[in-house]
Amino acid sequence: MKKILGTVAALAVMTIASQAHAARDYVWGAGSSTVFPFATRVAENFAKKNGGKAPKIESLGTGGGIKLFCSGSGEGFPDIANASRPMKKSEFDACAAKGVKDIIQIKVGFDGIVIANDKDSPVYNFKLDALYLGLSAQVLRYGKFVPNPYNTWDDVGVGLPGNKILVYGPPPSSGTRDAFLELAIEAGARKFPLLDEMRSNNEKGFKNLVDPLRKDGWIDAGENDNAIVQTLVKTPGALGVFGFSYLEENADKIQGSSVNGVFPTAATIANGSYPLSRVLYIYVKKSNLGVTPGLTEYVNEFLSDAASGRGGYLQGRGLIPLPPGQHDGQKALFKAGTTMARPAA
Amino acid sequence: MVVKVNMQTSAPTPVVGTHANQAPPAGEPAKITARDVNVYYGANHALKSVSLDIPGKSVTAFIGPSGCGKSTFLRCINRMNDTIPGCRVEGRIGLDGDDIYDPSIDPVSLRARVGMVFQKPNPFPKSIYDNVAYGPRIHGLETSKTGLDDLVEASLKRAGLWGEVHDRLKAPGTGLSGGQQQRLVIARAIAVNPEVILMDEPCSALDPIATARIEELIDDLASQFCIVIVTHSMAQAARVSQQTAFFHLGSLVETGPTGMIFTNPKDGRTQDYITGRTG
Amino acid sequence: MTDAAQHPSAKHLKKRYAAEARFKMYGRLAITIALAFLVILLGRIVLQGYSTFTTNTVSLPVYLDPARIDRADLSGSNYDYLVSLAVLKALGETEDELGTMSEDASALISRDLGFQILDKVKADPGLIGKTITVTGPVKADADLYYKGEIKRSVAEGNRKLNDRQLTWLDRLKKSGRVHGGFNSAFFTHGDSTEPEQAGILGAAVGSAMMLLVTALIAIPVGVMAAIWLEEFAPKNGWTDLIEVNINNLAAVPSIVYGLLGLAVFINWLGAPRGSPLTGGIVLALMALPTMIIATRAALKAVPPSIRDGALAIGASRTQTVFHHVVPLARPGIMTGAILSLSHALGETAPLLMVGMVAFVPGIPSSFIGGATVLPVQVFIWENASERAFAERTAAGIMVLLAFMIVMNATAIILRRRYERRW
Repeated sequence: MKKILGTVAALAVMTIASQAHAARDYVWGAGSSTVFPFATRVAENFAKKNGGKAPKIESLGTGGGIKLFCSGSGEGFPDIANASRPMKKSEFDACAAKGVKDIIQIKVGFDGIVIANDKDSPVYNFKLDALYLGLSAQVLRYGKFVPNPYNTWDDVGVGLPGNKILVYGPPPSSGTRDAFLELAIEAGARKFPLLDEMRSNNEKGFKNLVDPLRKDGWIDAGENDNAIVQTLVKTPGALGVFGFSYLEENADKIQGSSVNGVFPTAATIANGSYPLSRVLYIYVKKSNLGVTPGLTEYVNEFLSDAASGRGGYLQGRGLIPLPPGQHDGQKALFKAGTTMARPAA
Repeated sequence: MVVKVNMQTSAPTPVVGTHANQAPPAGEPAKITARDVNVYYGANHALKSVSLDIPGKSVTAFIGPSGCGKSTFLRCINRMNDTIPGCRVEGRIGLDGDDIYDPSIDPVSLRARVGMVFQKPNPFPKSIYDNVAYGPRIHGLETSKTGLDDLVEASLKRAGLWGEVHDRLKAPGTGLSGGQQQRLVIARAIAVNPEVILMDEPCSALDPIATARIEELIDDLASQFCIVIVTHSMAQAARVSQQTAFFHLGSLVETGPTGMIFTNPKDGRTQDYITGRTG
Repeated sequence: MTDAAQHPSAKHLKKRYAAEARFKMYGRLAITIALAFLVILLGRIVLQGYSTFTTNTVSLPVYLDPARIDRADLSGSNYDYLVSLAVLKALGETEDELGTMSEDASALISRDLGFQILDKVKADPGLIGKTITVTGPVKADADLYYKGEIKRSVAEGNRKLNDRQLTWLDRLKKSGRVHGGFNSAFFTHGDSTEPEQAGILGAAVGSAMMLLVTALIAIPVGVMAAIWLEEFAPKNGWTDLIEVNINNLAAVPSIVYGLLGLAVFINWLGAPRGSPLTGGIVLALMALPTMIIATRAALKAVPPSIRDGALAIGASRTQTVFHHVVPLARPGIMTGAILSLSHALGETAPLLMVGMVAFVPGIPSSFIGGATVLPVQVFIWENASERAFAERTAAGIMVLLAFMIVMNATAIILRRRYERRW
């Protein structure tokens, strides 16, 4: 009895003591689950090379990561936010309000969002407007907005197979979903002059109208992309939306669809000809450089050619490297410590 | 034991035992004096104004039909009713003159002076030795190992169990037969050197041979302790007790020497009960 | 006197027996279905995961070319390139101008070998210029080829390894440079982003540490609370309210405790984020209601005759409870403890909020440092895109299940030993 009480007391003391001790001696990054595989590989190699403590990388999602990043400066908050989309204006302001100014925005590479299906099924060749018409909850039809009436892909695009519209994709909490909405759905909607005009006048209204996806054809499949791949193999008529690395790893089972005539490959994603390609970012607190041990070295490792350059070890994990010119530009940006401006949106 | 059949009634009148007619030692003040004891279970008035004297160093039997309040009254004497939520006791019960319900009296020390044996034998799930030694340990009566050993041996001998268990004191108490368990419980009660031993139908769960042994034991213990026994068996009451009190529907109807109660009761209800017309 | 066969109940007898037979059949059917699901589930996991326990190791003599190692910057030199040259040499091939041969070769060998060389050279720079033998795992995709997961029959463009690489792998195996063996790295390493180097030890130690904290808090507090509520508390409206609330808390979704842990322990009290201490406290709170309920049930099951016997001999309330009632309730209390801890072992959602869903290489060394736990490790591996992580996910689940089985077996053994009968 006494022993147990003693141990409980000891634990309480340890908690309080840890408060006093709490000087964080490792790098801390949090955010996108898309950037997670790359950030963790850099962390591991960084620790092995330098022998220090491995940086801690949390997978919270882009929104959650930025939120934690912006909750304050100091050692109780992450040094780096990993993001699969640019920081929004509202998030930037939230950061500033909590005293987090001087943020360095660094591009680390590209990621492609693919629309894939089972290898034995016909290939899909999408045009952007077909994606909008097929997946949005409300579509423009003869000048009016109606609940999505289309049931098969050949209803929305010439040359598309006649399968029922059934797509498994990321849930609203995912940065990949945000990117897909912007690059595919909104881009497809803007092909219609009426909607394009609406976007110029009232962007928020445009997003509210176009972003919600139909519940009967689009299925939020959770954050688990491996599960989506398995589902596609078992359900030949279905499509899945996920990151390029999963297509690469499972090329013997699934195939990617072309968008605007371009198939997703490392080359087309890098040069931007594949429309659904997005930039991956890390946001670094300038004030933490030199304070958190290893932070500068970690970011340098991330930006090194061995990591995110052509043929580097991140490419082996599915990161599409920036063209060498842009890559060198990011290295210079970090070296100079150039902070980001307030985003426009 | 011969049962005489009384031709005038349908049930046999219990034979009064050899000790029954012996009066309790004269001149001794009553060990337990109860005055105007009322017990309530919530709103239910279970015991109505019971006043009774119980002499020391003898056996007093409480008899009466089911639900008449005899067990309730028994439990008042060692304040076990305190553990029943919603139970209220009023009145005065004196042990050697001191009111046991006085706020200054600690029930824990009272129960060292007034022991209890229950209907179903309830030895602790410990060894035979530990069963008997538990009471003296917690009351601090004996601290040395040898002292405790001697006390355990003496108590088991007094309870008539030593011969059967002396070679297996570490065996679990629950491994004994029913009759042995009850004697173990009595040994446990004796070990704390009480003045009173209360017994609530101690033989109801035992076979006739075990019952007979317990009754012999009660006989033997009566020379040293004040024993109060609640029993459903009038024959048993007639055999072992010197005093008998008859309870009926929460009231004490009649009390007196056992021989008199069973042969020449004063109250008609008593007569009805002992002849088997009621209860 | 009627004959037994003509007793009116005889007619109904047939129906009764038929109903009994049906009931027995339903019971057997239910058990069979449950067992079938269990067998299918376990079978699938084992089938997917058992291949993790073997791995292929390569042994190579590597020439530490002084021209390619910068003595001033040992960490910056490219040891993987030296290893890939060593592979080509072992195969009797030479590097071509564009470097595609070494590129293909480096995709076959784990980067662990490069790091081994770095460590050796750091420790003894005198090795530069010599040839040393290094042994390490083949890269995950090569391992999958040896295990038959990557097949030549698939078109070259659709696999991770091209035909030339597959031929080289065959030759390395034939020449004896590569041999199969037990994958001890899986049990001795912590997490890694390279599948062939990833191991479960870090998560297992993290789980053990966290469970220790949970047990040390939940068991004493839960048992004491239950004892007070059952044996000492007055039975009035307040205690009824407490009991209702405890029952409700047992049903609250576990992520709520995570939010509580974040808000109270991390933000307000400053507990270290993502540590076994914080995770353990959060899960202890989650396990507490179950612990209290199970202990109360065990205490209620002790017959009142035991309490009466103890009170009658003059034991105080506290002595009665602790000397008599609690020892008899011990088997039930232990069952409750093991159930609560097993539940806590498998939780992920509350740990997400307190920062334990993170990549933590290495083995946790302190209660206040970063750590991860088994279910989180399985979750992280499940989400990784590399194919080789699929078998490791299943193996991770097998380790988690083994953990639980061991815990439950320990509980049963302890119960049997200390069970008393009354």
